[in-house]
Amino acid sequence: MSDTVRPARRGAGRPAGVPWPWLDRAGRISALRIALLVALAAPAAVLLWLLAAGALGADPWKQATREAGNHAAHILLISLAVTPLRWIADWPKAATLRRMVGLAALAYALLHLVLYAGHLGWNLLAVGAEIATRIYLTLGFAVLLGLCVLGWTSTDGWQTRLGRGWKRLHRWVYLLAAAAVLHAFLQSKARADGAVVMAGCWLWLMLWRLLPGPWRARPLALLALALVAALATALVEYAWYGAATNLPAARILAANLDLAAGLRPAQGILLAGVAAALLPLLRRLTPAGA
Amino acid sequence: MRIHRKRGWELPDHAATPEHVALNRRALMAAAGAGVMLSAEAQAQWLFGRGRSSNDPWQRNPADLPDLPPAMRNPRYQPGRALTPERDPVTYNNFYEFGSNKDIWPTAQRMPTSPWTVKVDGMVEQPGEFAVDDLMKRIGLEERVYRLRCVEAWAMTVPWTGFQLSKLLEIVKPLGSAKYVRLETAQRPDSMVGLRQSWYPWPHIEGCTVEEAANELTFIVTGIYGRPLPAQNGGPFRIVFPWKYGFKSGKSLARITLTDERPKSFWETLQGNEYGFWANVNPEVPHPRWSQATERLIGTGERVPTQIFNGYGEFVASLYTNLQNERLWA
Repeated sequence: MSDTVRPARRGAGRPAGVPWPWLDRAGRISALRIALLVALAAPAAVLLWLLAAGALGADPWKQATREAGNHAAHILLISLAVTPLRWIADWPKAATLRRMVGLAALAYALLHLVLYAGHLGWNLLAVGAEIATRIYLTLGFAVLLGLCVLGWTSTDGWQTRLGRGWKRLHRWVYLLAAAAVLHAFLQSKARADGAVVMAGCWLWLMLWRLLPGPWRARPLALLALALVAALATALVEYAWYGAATNLPAARILAANLDLAAGLRPAQGILLAGVAAALLPLLRRLTPAGA
Repeated sequence: MRIHRKRGWELPDHAATPEHVALNRRALMAAAGAGVMLSAEAQAQWLFGRGRSSNDPWQRNPADLPDLPPAMRNPRYQPGRALTPERDPVTYNNFYEFGSNKDIWPTAQRMPTSPWTVKVDGMVEQPGEFAVDDLMKRIGLEERVYRLRCVEAWAMTVPWTGFQLSKLLEIVKPLGSAKYVRLETAQRPDSMVGLRQSWYPWPHIEGCTVEEAANELTFIVTGIYGRPLPAQNGGPFRIVFPWKYGFKSGKSLARITLTDERPKSFWETLQGNEYGFWANVNPEVPHPRWSQATERLIGTGERVPTQIFNGYGEFVASLYTNLQNERLWA
């Protein structure tokens, strides 16, 4: 289904040596890969700089932990968006970027854990006890372990060694992403907007994968997908508030039709989905082969 | 009663604030005005441009905010910790009426805090509506340095200016039938953008028993670090229960009602299993999602053990001797 590009010429023309992230598969320095690397590293650089400068507010380690976790979940979702982007924007090269994005998600998840340990004053016993006793932390840690497995087996060597099993193993990333979103829900206080947005992105990405092949880049199908994903997001939000909180879930659901309540998560998913549906049209306007 | 008179040589607290904690508040307001409120990272940028001006964000209209009447620090309440740098308590706030994150202080500046009146009603002999300025003059102010323990496992040490709630109660004279005190936060839709999320149980209600209200620690606060209390801290008129988790200490109060019915608080309505009515600090009773055994001191980042009743047991433990069946903790 989604992973059509990679297996064709595995290792073809690749020189022996270190697979530096800025080299393409032919061993040439790639501006695109450098740009992506910088984009992926920038949030961590800014975050660590602000932490070192004492500029993250009154509880800096907690803030840093939270932001690193958000980055990890967002980048993990972006890694799931690479294949849709490849088809919707008709951009085969995108598929060669996926590994770097996935590894960045792993790096941010590790950073998230390290910052959390710092937040607890580097008391590793307390870190272990908290992870063992708070379900949302156990879940988050399990996601991190899963990402470690996928990261470790992300190399060309492991792809060859595992053969067809590699794809089966790496499909666990869908479940890991869902678990990461659940982790975000469980740690939220009264307001779960951020987690609902993540859930909406995950839903869009999964529903896109259910589309029949020829529809995956058609604006009309993508418009319908945006609508369905937004509705599903609203339902997830409703279910969360209804099941896990005492807030009036029906009124929060109704707020999706109320512009005065500020941009609601499902509305955001709808807008993003519509933007994605316009991508194929935009692509037609640009010269081919970029 | 202890009478405090300010002497000429006494340095007001804000004058002693170390220079390194003084904000570049003009840059900070500019950043806020430019709408740089997207993330904590962006929000933090103001810290880099220190040292030009030191106008407080909440004193932009000095005419609206007259100085507090003089207040002496009460030496009876020793925090045993260094004061938290002033910039932290005034920029790190939970106040859902202004938004659900902690950097709501720029939004809170939109709410005028003067003039302000507080209605005291219910089961009292002499109900009334009181102007905060008049109350401060009538009762007189003192400063108390209290430890503040948030349910989120962080702590600050804050010099509050105000008066004991019991002195206000002496004025209105509660009836014998009154059992609880209901504390209602103001609703100002013009500035409180959080109210647009209409599904929260507004107005924000907090409450305590009459005995807790009469306790010497229960403090009405109108100032912080020797200055008028800014809106983000619950200005101009809030309550503080230093032995309870911070969320119990209702902000920007509009109404205080004596009643025989136990008030159901905002957070109790939202998540009663996490934020109950009593919410006394206890290191041995964890929050469902984290341990309460230790707390992080805002300002230094140091982690220290949490004390039962936040270390105020000698003043308040006796309030609870006959309440062992209640869920007294968290």
